[in-house]
Amino acid sequence: MRFKMYGSFRCRMVLLLLFLLLDCNFSNCLADTSSEATTHTNNWAVLVCTSRFWFNYRHMANTLSLYRTVKRLGIPDERIILMLADDMACNARNKYPAQVFNNENHKLNLYGDNVEVDYRGYEVTVENFFRVLTGRHENAVPRSKRLLSDEGSHILLYMTGHGGDEFLKFQDSEELQSHDLADAVKQMKEKRRFKELLIMVDTCQAATLFSQLQSPGVLAIGSSMKGENSYSHHLDSDVGVSVVDRFTFYTLGFFERLNMYNNDSLISLFSSYNPSMLMSTAYYRTDLYQRHLEEVPVTNFFGSVMEMIHTDSAYSLLSRKESFRVEIKMSADKSVPDKKRLMDNPSDLDQISELNIEDQHGALKRIWSTIQKEMEKVEDVDAFVSYGLVLIVPLLAVSMWLTW
Amino acid sequence: MLSAQIESNPLLFPCHFQAIFVGFDSKPSMTPDALGSSILSQMTKLTSKPPQCGTCSTNYSIAVTVDSSLGCIQTRNLEDTSSWRCGSMGTTDFSDDEGVDKALADSLGGKVYSVVVVHGDREEVRAVVGKYRHAWVVGRVSEAEAVARAAEIFVKVFVNGGKEEGLIHGEFMPVGADGKIVLSFNLLNSDPQDWVYDWDFQSIDETLLSPVIEALESVANISVESQVLYHTPKSSFSHWDDEQESYIFSTKDLPFFVNSNEWHLDTSIAAGGRSKILQIVVYIPSARECPLLLQLPNGEISKTNGFISPMWGGVIVWNPKDCLKDSESQHPLRRTISQQDLQKVFEVVMGQFRQLFGLKSNNVYVGASGTSSLLASERGFTEWELDVLSRQHTCFNLHSCATTLGSLSRLVQSLPRMIIMDEIGKQVMYSLEAATLARSNASLGLYDSSAVSSRQARYLAEDAFFHPSIMSVSYYSFEHCFAVYSPFFLPVSMHVLLAALREWRRYKQENKKYLAWKTKVKKDS
Repeated sequence: MRFKMYGSFRCRMVLLLLFLLLDCNFSNCLADTSSEATTHTNNWAVLVCTSRFWFNYRHMANTLSLYRTVKRLGIPDERIILMLADDMACNARNKYPAQVFNNENHKLNLYGDNVEVDYRGYEVTVENFFRVLTGRHENAVPRSKRLLSDEGSHILLYMTGHGGDEFLKFQDSEELQSHDLADAVKQMKEKRRFKELLIMVDTCQAATLFSQLQSPGVLAIGSSMKGENSYSHHLDSDVGVSVVDRFTFYTLGFFERLNMYNNDSLISLFSSYNPSMLMSTAYYRTDLYQRHLEEVPVTNFFGSVMEMIHTDSAYSLLSRKESFRVEIKMSADKSVPDKKRLMDNPSDLDQISELNIEDQHGALKRIWSTIQKEMEKVEDVDAFVSYGLVLIVPLLAVSMWLTW
Repeated sequence: MLSAQIESNPLLFPCHFQAIFVGFDSKPSMTPDALGSSILSQMTKLTSKPPQCGTCSTNYSIAVTVDSSLGCIQTRNLEDTSSWRCGSMGTTDFSDDEGVDKALADSLGGKVYSVVVVHGDREEVRAVVGKYRHAWVVGRVSEAEAVARAAEIFVKVFVNGGKEEGLIHGEFMPVGADGKIVLSFNLLNSDPQDWVYDWDFQSIDETLLSPVIEALESVANISVESQVLYHTPKSSFSHWDDEQESYIFSTKDLPFFVNSNEWHLDTSIAAGGRSKILQIVVYIPSARECPLLLQLPNGEISKTNGFISPMWGGVIVWNPKDCLKDSESQHPLRRTISQQDLQKVFEVVMGQFRQLFGLKSNNVYVGASGTSSLLASERGFTEWELDVLSRQHTCFNLHSCATTLGSLSRLVQSLPRMIIMDEIGKQVMYSLEAATLARSNASLGLYDSSAVSSRQARYLAEDAFFHPSIMSVSYYSFEHCFAVYSPFFLPVSMHVLLAALREWRRYKQENKKYLAWKTKVKKDS
C-alpha cells in the first residue's frame, strides 16, 4: 500500500514540479532583489563528538575545549549546539569524578560550570545530526536543540572522533558518509540557513570527509589527509588515557592568547599548524570560499561579533497635548476605535482553513468528531453516566430474552 | 488553476494618487491635466527602472484637483472622483500639524495617497506628511516646485517608505517562518547590591504596546513577554570622562556589550520552533559605572543611549536618577521605575522597533527638493508606513515561499527512492492556493489581506519543506549493501549454483543416453 500511495503521489509531485519550474520565472525576477546583499548578523557553533567509551576520552575533551573557547569568545549557549556522548565525567573509571581535563597539568576543568549539552548519550546519531543541520525536527523539539540560523549566520561545525576514507564513525554503530554531509550542506545552502560555514574535522583521514562538498560559502579544514592518521598529543598517566588530540591542542594554543577584541585572521590560524608537530598534514579547502583568508578574522566564526546600529532618536508615541495617564481604567476608554485596517476577503482565508480541517478528518474521524461534539454538549456528566448505567439493565434483559 | 500562477512579472501593486492645489489663484494657466501630466513625468523620472518588488506598477493613476476662488476643476478621470470639498481649506491654521492632519483625514477619506499643496503667504515652505495617507505642502511655492515636491513625496515617501530604493533587506524582516514574533522585554539589574529596579510592565503593555501590536497584525502575529533579571553585568568596558562627568562607552564597544554568558535572555516558553524572538533589553548599570553614556564617533553623546542589532533586538541603557546610592542601608533599595521614565524608555523602544523593521526612528525625511517632517502615530506606525511594510513583507514572503517550494521539488526529484507523505503534498497545495490569493489581492491593491495570505503561504511552504519525514539520509551505499547481505546469500547461492551445474551436467548425460537409445530403436525397427 505504501508503494501505491507513493506511485500516485509521484504523479502529483511531477505536475507540481512542472508548474513550479514555470513559476521559476516569477521567482527569478525576484531573485535579484536579495541575493548578494546579506550581512553577517550572528554566529552559530555546532560541536559534535562522535565517540563514546572511556578510551575515547580525548575526543570529548577536544569538543569541550572548543566549546569553552567559543563561549569565551562570545557565542552564547543559545547559539551553540553541543552533541556529546557525555559518558566521561561520571564514568566509573574516572579517577577525578565530574572533571574532564585536556592537559596533564589538570589546570583547567572543562566540565566545571555552565556546560549545556544539547544532545547527549544515545541522542548523538547521524539522523539527529542531519536533523540539526537541515532543520527538520518534530514539532515538539525545543528551541535549544534547533539550529535556528538564518541567511546572515556564520556557522562553525566542528567534528571529532574516529574517521576514515569518506566516512566518520558515529558512536561505534553508524557512519556519516561524506556525500551525505555534502547533501545536507547543499540543502542548508538552498534553504539559506547560513552565509558562511567553517567545517573543522579532527579525525584520521579527515580531509576526505569534505571532499564532496560543492556549495559556495563553505570553508573546510581537516587534521589529516587521505591515508594519514591523526594522533593524540599526550598521555595523562594519572587519568590513564590520552587527553587531547594534536590538531585540537594546537588550535587551542592559538586561541588561548586571543580575546574577543582581537582580529587575527584565519590564515594565521591555518598556517600555525606545523606538520611535523601534528605528525600529519592539516589540509584546508578554500575553493568554495570567495573571500581571502587574510581578510577574515577568526572571530567571524569562533567569536560572536554582532552588527550594531545606533538608535538616533526616540519615537514619540503620544502627542504633546495628552499626558500619560496612570489609571488603567481610563486607558480603556481612551482607545479610540480607529479605522481598523480592513481585511477584505476574509472569507477566502476561512475557506482555506476549512479545507484544511475537512481534509484532515477522514470519514471515520468525521463520525468520531461528531460523537465528540455531542459528548461535549452534555453538561451534567454524572447524570449522563448514571442514565447509561441504568440503560444497561433493560438491554441485558432484551439480549437474554432474544438468545433463549 | 495552476496555470494562473504563471506570471513572469515581479509583484507590483496598483496605486492611486491624488494631488490637490489650493490657492493658486494667480495662475490661470494651471489646468489639472497639465499638472497631472507633469507630476506623472516627474514621478517616472524618480522611480527606478525596472521597478522593485513591492512598489507601484508603472501606470500610475493621478487625479488632480485645482481649488481656487473660481471653484474646483478636476481632471477628467472617469473612475475615481475626488472627495475633496471645495473651499474647505480656507480657514485651516497650518501651524497645528495634528489638527490639519485630522481635518484632511476627514475630508479626503484616507484611502488614496494625496498631497495637498497650499499656496500661502509665508515665504518658508513647509512639507508635512501626516499619519494617514496624505501630506501637505504650505508656503509660497511655485508651480514647478510644487509639482517636484508632490512627485517626490509620492514616490520617495509613500511608495518607497522614505528610503532610496524602496527595498527592505532581509535582515530587517524579523518575522519568523510561522508568521510569529515574540517580543521579549528584559529589565537587567547589573548589580543588585547597588540598587534593584522593577517596572510596571502591565500598564505599558496595555496602553502603549497593544495598539502597536494591533497595527502590525497583518504583517506578523506578535506576542509579548517580559522578565526582570539580576546580576547581569555587561562584558565591554567603559572609561570615565571628566568633561561629561560620566562613564563613556563608544560605538566600538557595542558589539561586545551583550554579555551572553551572564544574560540568560533565552528563556522564552511562548516561542515555537520557528518563531522569531526579538530581545528588548533595558540595562541598568551598577553604581561603579553610573551614569553610563554612549558616545558616537563624531564625539556627541547619544540622546537615546540605545542601539539595535538586526534580527536580534535592541538594548537601552537607563541610568538611575542622579546615581544616588543609599549608602546607609545594608540591603539594596527596591525601587520602581517611574511612569514618566518608563514612558521615555518606551519611546526609545518604539524607535528601535521601527528600526528593526527597516524604518527610521526619527521623524524627518530629507529629499532632493527639501525636507519634510513626518508625523508620529500613536500606533507606532503610520498608515502609509504600514502599507509599505505590508507590500514589502508580501514580496518577501512570496519570494521565500517560491524558493522553498522550488528547493522542495528539486529535493524530491533528486531522491526518487524517498517516500513523500500525502500531508506534504496537501501543504504544498494549500501554500500555492494562499500564494495565488495573495497575488490576486495584490493586484486589487488590498495590501493587508495580501500580506496575511502571503504569510500563510510561506508558513505552509516551510512546514512542507521542514516536514520531519523527509530525511534524505542514504546509508545504502553499494559497499554497505554488499557487506550486509553477502553473508546471508553467498554461501547459499554457492550451493545452489553448484547443484544447478550438477543437474545440468546430469541432464546432458541423460539426454545423450536418451538420444542414443532412440536412434537404436529406430535402427531396430
